[in-house]
Amino acid sequence: MAEEIKANVTLNLEGLMCPMPVVRISKAIKDVVVGEVIEATATDPGVLIDIPAWARTTGNEVIKIEREGKIVHFFVRRLK
Amino acid sequence: MTPETQIKVPEDYKKKLPRDVAIALETCVRCGLCTESCHYYKSNPKSDFIPAYRAEVFRRILRKKDYSEKSLGAMSDIAFSNCTLCRRCVMTCPLGVDTGLLMREARGLAVASGTAPEILVQLADTAISRGEDIEIFREMFLENIKALEEEVRQLTGDPQAVIPVDKKGADILFVALSGAHSIIPPSILFHYAKANWTLSFFEASNYGVLIGDKDRAKRIVQRIVDEAKRLGVKEIVVGECGHAYNTLRWEAPKWFDGGFPFRVRSIIEVMAHLIQEGRLPLDKSANPEPVIYHDACNLTRNGGLLEEPRIVLRAAVKDYREMSPNRDDSYCCGGGGGIIAVPEWDSKRMEAGKPKAEQIKATGAKVVIVACDNCRIQINDLNEHYKLGINIGGITETVVKAILKAVKGS
Ligand code: SF4
Ligand code: SF4
Repeated sequence: MAEEIKANVTLNLEGLMCPMPVVRISKAIKDVVVGEVIEATATDPGVLIDIPAWARTTGNEVIKIEREGKIVHFFVRRLK
Repeated sequence: MTPETQIKVPEDYKKKLPRDVAIALETCVRCGLCTESCHYYKSNPKSDFIPAYRAEVFRRILRKKDYSEKSLGAMSDIAFSNCTLCRRCVMTCPLGVDTGLLMREARGLAVASGTAPEILVQLADTAISRGEDIEIFREMFLENIKALEEEVRQLTGDPQAVIPVDKKGADILFVALSGAHSIIPPSILFHYAKANWTLSFFEASNYGVLIGDKDRAKRIVQRIVDEAKRLGVKEIVVGECGHAYNTLRWEAPKWFDGGFPFRVRSIIEVMAHLIQEGRLPLDKSANPEPVIYHDACNLTRNGGLLEEPRIVLRAAVKDYREMSPNRDDSYCCGGGGGIIAVPEWDSKRMEAGKPKAEQIKATGAKVVIVACDNCRIQINDLNEHYKLGINIGGITETVVKAILKAVKGS
């Protein structure tokens, strides 16, 4: 059985268009401490690429990202 | 660091300024004729919002070589949050002083000195990162496009409809934004136009341009240019993004020796051309309500697309109206230049959008068509803030509604 990921903060980014999901995550990551996790859902399918690319740029970690119908569900951990 | 701490910026910064920037810096005669043209000043007439004042702040920093934290911070704030780079003021200046250009140069200095808003730099770097290692993102991208292709098949009722990716020998490389709304309507349009096209792996927007950093801007464009060359396309067609069109059509070719070996058009030009040739089946009854078009600064004033959107909309909607002023005299919506990506400036952005909100209200139209995603986010927010009671749609989406009505009756 897959291990459950525990989130410290949950964000609903549904209905937001690019670049707003990245903007919101970038802001939210500053409000959690290193090691904590943000869980989010979005409807803009562009986040499937934008969030991993943003994490790569900023040195954070996408623990999991997947499409569930029209929703993209993902977890990001603050690494620095 | 104290406010007086000097920040290290290249000593010869002023000498390195491009000629058009240097001329704009030296030409202003302080006549004040540009004052009323700015949407910031129109909604809040204070001296900080006079275009020439903004330029003067930048000019003073360069002249005095005052690179203190305090001065550069203030300049950055003005360049990023008090100017949307709309260039309406340029049209009223008798000497053609380009304050938008100066503010973009000031943004570049802010980036070089570390005083620019972090999120805007991050957005530029995120786009560069996507181009550095395509393989990491390829599978995700293709999986996403497959899902969108399914929607295109459902909407057209054609199980053969496709969203081609990486197609060598395609005539068109279509560069969209990342959302489904930017990919599905053009896919349906190209399907019915029987176009030989392929979708770019990259998104059109370019935060490198918006932060005035030519190096980053060029790297973001380079990804698309390399893809276009690899696939051997005849043209790049840019989706509904104002600054991306302006960049790819007018600015970026100058950054590459010999320009581009392909042409660049906006999807609006493609639709206007198809309509003029009678190649699109259209039923206007799909769009029965009064419609107005918002002239995005980077498409109209700065991009030159004055009549094309009107050719398209008059063919696709029943009741087309104009806002006043319009075309190259149109007011900026207040959301340009990247300001939408900085939540701290939301209230300033709403205030600066007041002239646009008033323009919209005066027409009595129920639908505003916006062909730039940046403006679309802003006008959505203005709709809520000023209780305009309008619906907002894209131009390709509007045409596709008329096509589907003509072809399928729905
Ligand atoms: S470019 Fe636009 S926002 Fe900037 S000063 Fe001129 S009119 Fe105002
Ligand atoms: S109109 Fe031109 S010359 Fe006059 S103050 Fe404005 S920028 Fe300067």
